[in-house]
Amino acid sequence: MDDLVVGMAGSGGDGIVSAGESLISAAAYEGYSAIMTKSFGSQVRGGESSCRVRISTRRVHNPGGLLDVAVALNWEDFLNFGAELPVSGDTVVIYDTKTGVAPADIPLVGVAPKEVFAVPIAEMAREATGTEKAKNTVVLGLIAGWFGIARLSMLRGLEKKFAKKGVALVQANERAFVLGEQFAKEHPLSAPRLMDMPVAPKAKMLADGNDMTAAAAIFAGCDFFAGYPITPSTEVMQFLTREIWKYGGSVLQAEDEIAGVGAALGASFAGKKAMTATSGPGLSLKNEMIGLATIAELPLVIVDVQRGGPSTGLPTKSEQSDLYTAAFSAHGDVLRPVLAPTSVADTFDVTVEAFNTAEHYQTPVIILSDQEIGQRKETVDPIDTSRVKLEERRRPTESELRDYARFRMTESGISPVSHPGMKGGNYQGAGIEHNEQGNPTASGKLHAQMNEKRFRKLTPIKARRDLFHIEGNPNAKLGIVAWGSAAGVCREVYTRATAKGFDVKLLVPWLVYPVAEEIYRSFFASVRAGFVVELSHQGQLYRMLRMFIDVPPGVVSLCRSGANPFQPGEVLMHLREAAVSLQKPAASIASE
Amino acid sequence: MFQAKDFKSDLKPIWCPGCGDFGVVQAIYRALASVGRPPHEIAFVSGIGCSSRIPGYTTAYGFNSVHGRAIPIAQGIKLANPSLLVLVAGGDGDGFSIGGGHVAHVVRRNLDITYIVMDNQIYGLTKGQLSPTSPRGLKTVTSMYGSVEAPMNPLLNVLAYGAPFVAQGTPADMTGLSQIVEEAIRYPGFAFVNVRSPCVTYGTEADQIKEHRARMKPLQSLGHDSTDRLAAMGLAQHYCTELHTGVFYRNPTPPPTMEGQLQERQRGLADKALPRHKILDIFVQK
Repeated sequence: MDDLVVGMAGSGGDGIVSAGESLISAAAYEGYSAIMTKSFGSQVRGGESSCRVRISTRRVHNPGGLLDVAVALNWEDFLNFGAELPVSGDTVVIYDTKTGVAPADIPLVGVAPKEVFAVPIAEMAREATGTEKAKNTVVLGLIAGWFGIARLSMLRGLEKKFAKKGVALVQANERAFVLGEQFAKEHPLSAPRLMDMPVAPKAKMLADGNDMTAAAAIFAGCDFFAGYPITPSTEVMQFLTREIWKYGGSVLQAEDEIAGVGAALGASFAGKKAMTATSGPGLSLKNEMIGLATIAELPLVIVDVQRGGPSTGLPTKSEQSDLYTAAFSAHGDVLRPVLAPTSVADTFDVTVEAFNTAEHYQTPVIILSDQEIGQRKETVDPIDTSRVKLEERRRPTESELRDYARFRMTESGISPVSHPGMKGGNYQGAGIEHNEQGNPTASGKLHAQMNEKRFRKLTPIKARRDLFHIEGNPNAKLGIVAWGSAAGVCREVYTRATAKGFDVKLLVPWLVYPVAEEIYRSFFASVRAGFVVELSHQGQLYRMLRMFIDVPPGVVSLCRSGANPFQPGEVLMHLREAAVSLQKPAASIASE
Repeated sequence: MFQAKDFKSDLKPIWCPGCGDFGVVQAIYRALASVGRPPHEIAFVSGIGCSSRIPGYTTAYGFNSVHGRAIPIAQGIKLANPSLLVLVAGGDGDGFSIGGGHVAHVVRRNLDITYIVMDNQIYGLTKGQLSPTSPRGLKTVTSMYGSVEAPMNPLLNVLAYGAPFVAQGTPADMTGLSQIVEEAIRYPGFAFVNVRSPCVTYGTEADQIKEHRARMKPLQSLGHDSTDRLAAMGLAQHYCTELHTGVFYRNPTPPPTMEGQLQERQRGLADKALPRHKILDIFVQK
């Protein structure tokens, strides 16, 4: 077996998420590829919690679909997570005997799993440690026993986790683990399902998207962050609050979202690389300031970790419905690059690219992440950072300072930018339209010239092929476009479909706006059927593409509201239908 | 070393002839000349309004930003580069209406920033609407039957927020105003100066330069002890009826500034950093 999806649910004190974390840490340490997502009830403390951990010997791009293993410490909590923990007939179901439910009566509707184990989890925890707190350790032992995963690394992890609390607790938890393991050995699966060893037994990095954004920002030279706490982006600020001082930088927890982006813009005006992070409601509040960054031509990175909207929406669930606002909001003629990572791993590249783009073009750049990427844990292969080039804004030379004009009309549209402290570079930054010197103007002619300059300077980014991941037969008639967390699902769909002989190609943009017309046109040239996959009610990328290019009529929007991510099987089913539609005789298609 | 003219730009102000803001910008030129920092080491931030045009009339680096948000931007500048002299200026609407939420926070953080409000108790740029400091009963184009709202009291508010330096001036007394602005800039912490800067076009008759000259009561002449915060608050209560000028409160033992504390933290943690290009090592499972 090379791929395993484990889903677990319990009450607040059960430590089910902690078990998931132990499992993924051990997997990462052994060199497996893994992704973990977690989900909670709405209570601030206590209440039900769940997590999914997918472990694989191959690189995984999404949390997977149907569970291979389902663990219910109690059924009420498990069922609360419904579609997030989908069980099939092939799922190995493990639950606590304490629930008093007979294996034949488990409350799952519409499926009859073949392997169901009632395990005295609480009883074993009590036997090993004297309390039921170690239930999650028993669960880890069960998983190690049945699926042969990361036994030594998990024991090692337990030791690290409990070391501070004393040897006695470490040993008690080891006993709990071994009891679980023994139970599994004494009650074997009808057909063994042992996990293969990882391809390269070398420890991987383990990070969530928000921490990766923050670390990448430091890598890129970010010296200032200001923001306001908002789910699901706050971890970006928390990471930087821990680390940025060491590099001589600062974090300001601002009094509101507007002050957060305002202070970051001020730091950029002062010559530093600066960032803010937020989610949808915060992005709505920051709009005016983003427009100011546009007209003042100041570099600024804004992270939006999307959640369900509009308004408060679904604060803890993922959605890809902020694309319109990221691309179009702020009044007036505004244009700014919007970049979307598709995994924790490429959150690094996208964040560094955002800083480089912001600095190079002197523009705000929005990183459009989403809750799933921001808050999921994912193993990351080593990144060769020596290949990464960092850009700095173009500063005026000595001779340019002698006759300095901050907004000088240049061929590229990019003007050398000074900052306070730089002698001879004194200028007026402004939200008001201005001439080349930065002085206010109400001239329609100057306004038109400046608008043209601000748009012209960003044109080259649309030719950046490296901001697009394209794979598959260039002449394929089936095409999939997907962005953000949905792209991780579609990468797997592409691989599985190709393995099954489908002639399909895939386009995943990091640059979601401005729309790179030529790149999409050439991708769609051969395509007769397919879809644009995204987690929003409207299908915002699909509609945005149609604003700028002629999308082939057979390419449709595959979209739905957020909360539950797409599953590879679901998209694969649609792909099959699209393939079938192509096999119909031309005449019958025409008559439809 | 520097003269007032070194801080005056070539840009011609948009202000109406006789506007109080001409006096304020003059006072700022004089104060800056006296303080002696070169223009390129000064960042002057404003929001929107007649008075917010003021950075452009100086030779400093200026940022004429968006309405009510000068303070957040100035905080970013100061934290990014604490060695800069950071000034913020704007009107009563900019600072106490649309941007009012920021004032309490810049005060409690105590950044070494000087905040000058040109308080004319009216919205001038949009042609004469009610402002947050307009007197009760004032008839304007948006209060045709008279304002039914009590004005807010900028002095008392900022004192209550805990500002270590609070003063008031008027262009009717240029010597006093220049001294107040200079003292505010020199104060090592957050300093607030409320300038009663008359609007000649939409302001009331009682709130003009000539009337100020007749009404003003220098706090010094009242024997006020500017180290006494409660006495300052007592006097500040009369914002609507009296025109007190001078320093209301000056904390003789300046509290630590935010940027000063953060610089100390940066120095203390500097040797704990992984090199930037190795930051990802944080994520390696050991």
